[in-house]
Amino acid sequence: MGDEDEIGGGPSGVSDEEDDPARRREIRSKYRDLINSVQQNREDMLNPANNKLIDVLEEANRLFASVKQAREAALDAQLLVLATDLGKEKASQLHAEGSAFDPSAFAEHLLSFMGLNRLEEEDDDQDGHLNGFLPQDAWQKLAKRSEVCFKTAPSFHYMLGSFLAEPPPPRQRVERQRKAPSKEAKRIMPTQLKKMEESQQEATEKEVERILACLQKYFADDPEEPISYYEFVIDPSSFSRTVENIFHTSFLIRDGLAKISLDKEGLPCIGPVEEGEIETGGAADRNQCVISISQASWKELIEAFDIKEALIPAPKTLSQES
Amino acid sequence: MSQRKKASASQSKSQQTNVNEDEMTLSQMTSSQVQRARENFSSVQIDRKVAEVVQFILVKDQKKIPVRRADIVKHVMKEYKVIYSEVMNRVRRTFEQVFGLKLEEIDTKNHIYILINKLEAGETVSMCPGNPKSGLLFVILSIIFMKGGVAKENLVWNTLKKLRVDSGEKHDEFSDVKKLVTDEFVRQKYLEYVKIPHTEPVEFEFRWGLRADIELSKLKLLEFVAELHDQDPQSWTQQFREASASESRT
Amino acid sequence: MSRPMGDSHRRFLQSMMSNGIIGASQAKALHKHCCETHGAHYAHDRLDEFIDVINTQLQPMFMNIRKGMSEEDGLQYYALVNMAETDVTRMASDYADNELELFRKTMDLIVDSESGSASSTDILNCADSLQTKKLKKKETEHVLNKFVQDKWLNEKHGEYTLSVRCIIEMEQYMRVIYQDLIKVCHVCHNIALQCQICENPRCGIKMHLPCVARYFKGRSEPHCPACNDFWPHEIPEILRSQSQGSQSLSSSAKENTAPTPSTSTTRRSKRS
Repeated sequence: MGDEDEIGGGPSGVSDEEDDPARRREIRSKYRDLINSVQQNREDMLNPANNKLIDVLEEANRLFASVKQAREAALDAQLLVLATDLGKEKASQLHAEGSAFDPSAFAEHLLSFMGLNRLEEEDDDQDGHLNGFLPQDAWQKLAKRSEVCFKTAPSFHYMLGSFLAEPPPPRQRVERQRKAPSKEAKRIMPTQLKKMEESQQEATEKEVERILACLQKYFADDPEEPISYYEFVIDPSSFSRTVENIFHTSFLIRDGLAKISLDKEGLPCIGPVEEGEIETGGAADRNQCVISISQASWKELIEAFDIKEALIPAPKTLSQES
Repeated sequence: MSQRKKASASQSKSQQTNVNEDEMTLSQMTSSQVQRARENFSSVQIDRKVAEVVQFILVKDQKKIPVRRADIVKHVMKEYKVIYSEVMNRVRRTFEQVFGLKLEEIDTKNHIYILINKLEAGETVSMCPGNPKSGLLFVILSIIFMKGGVAKENLVWNTLKKLRVDSGEKHDEFSDVKKLVTDEFVRQKYLEYVKIPHTEPVEFEFRWGLRADIELSKLKLLEFVAELHDQDPQSWTQQFREASASESRT
Repeated sequence: MSRPMGDSHRRFLQSMMSNGIIGASQAKALHKHCCETHGAHYAHDRLDEFIDVINTQLQPMFMNIRKGMSEEDGLQYYALVNMAETDVTRMASDYADNELELFRKTMDLIVDSESGSASSTDILNCADSLQTKKLKKKETEHVLNKFVQDKWLNEKHGEYTLSVRCIIEMEQYMRVIYQDLIKVCHVCHNIALQCQICENPRCGIKMHLPCVARYFKGRSEPHCPACNDFWPHEIPEILRSQSQGSQSLSSSAKENTAPTPSTSTTRRSKRS
């Protein structure tokens, strides 16, 4: 069904009023809505407790009064087929001996059997929203109990003989002497590891951003006073926090968001890179350096710089780890 | 999609003709001809053939796909097809005597076989956990049976939705549910999934497949359904009558 | 010619079919259960004879219920195995061709390794070079899980090893295909993959970890049983379950059939 029936006009010889395309379109659209609602709410219509089916038929009768041509009549007939079918099923429900089978009730009983954890007291299903969740072995449990209904033959599974025998490629035996794992082998990591690394990466990014914000704040407080690199990264209460700070700060340097320079005494200072500044430096101006720190040098630095407290406060989320 | 259907339709058609050919050769042979043919094979050879057919049927049963006679002839029996029935009788006997299984012909026209269990399902026999798929199958077969043998597709999907199984979504245990139900279960002959005539847009309904008729005990199923409802199985008069009748048939 | 099978045998066989492999204590409990269910005579010490009756009938189909020891927990297991390699057996539908090729390559890696295991990284990498059809990393991971679930492989901390079920069924195949790459355990004479090796270059015998534990039990100065050199590896403890007798069906069912290795400490010390 679709727009194509818009093109076809009525047969000649009908009066203008009967052939009014807009009116006809409206009737067809109403029929389709009606048909749709019957199909969508089938279970509802079958419920003996309401008269929705009769409502539909009455609506169809009203519509039919204005039907003048075959195309609309065909839709009426289609709706009638549906309604008759429903009526038949509804009647058979009423006349069936014994209890009627209610699939919704069946589903509820199954959920209870499968051990549904109902989260709240309130009734679900009201607005089609399902509450609660099934435990992991829910379907296994049902399968296990229903096993007695099946006379299923167990099946035979094997590995030998399912593939053609093939000796291993000979090169393997030669390589055996040199056992060190090749770079090739190291390159691709198992997916599981990758995933963990991804989340780690996210955490790192967040931490780097937080440290940048810190640096920008100290810089804004007094743009003239250089910030000592060691005073910035060292946490006098935690060596491991210090190492983490150095690690995260290195990303700021790498990404060109912060710069390290030496002051008059040759001690490293750190400051944020201001906008526009990035261009001027260029790649040629970049230097790499490796910073090492040990537990002993960390203590020395704390004393030498007389560091009393950390400039980078410990992150809240990580505190449980240390 | 429609192309795939067409392809499989033509495939089954060609298999059909294949079967008919075999039918001809098998039925046209007189007993003396069979006798003569039989003398071409030593008893060791025949033993070997029987074992191969048993293996073949076991392999096909790994995925619960019914076996066609045409496939047995084509892949295993080959030149032994002149003594097909003799070999098959011994295959049947092996399944019963060694494995406690029964080789059933579910479709006598197209000669399609399945294996079912002859031993009564015990309480604690299986040490492995239940297969979630058969739980799903149980639900669908129950709805169909309780609805008098046929259930509209929508009714089945709506009920499954209440059990957190959505035909449009990937499920943890069943992955593509729609495919599992309308393809795998259908190919295994647990379900029939057929178009309802004169429906626009097209609607489908489910019925029990040929395998379900033989592999399931309707009475045990009704008893479990009744247990779930905390009701007497006899309170569903018609279903109880049907279940008892089918029980006495087997 | 041979004793006929009863329903108790058939039930036992069916259980072997659906489980593939069961522990010795489970097998004992199952034996009892099957006999009692069908009112057959039950003799608790006749399990192997009971199984022989089944095996005689399975012989023509090239099937067999076979006993073997787990390299990891040292316990006995019973597995139902296929012994034929024919056009019919190759029609098996449990795995696709590329999945089987991956399995073969995994076996290659494991047999070729010192540790009797292959890392998931190495297996994932060889999935790129499959001749049948390449597997994506995600798919490979899924297939490996399936192999573990179906009890063909064991996995621990990203290291894959061949399961007892696999070794019981594939032992002959492995001896033929891998030839001199295959060494046997000096104590139990079965294929040795996860094991300790004598470090004397002229000796180099292999011993399964559970066999080591049993062999050196109570000895303060362990020496190689072949060359008498000092045995430089850590001697694993005998697992408690190893010395335990039969368990009930229900309690053994809980632990399921996949043995979990508990000798990792020894393996770690060996590598370092």
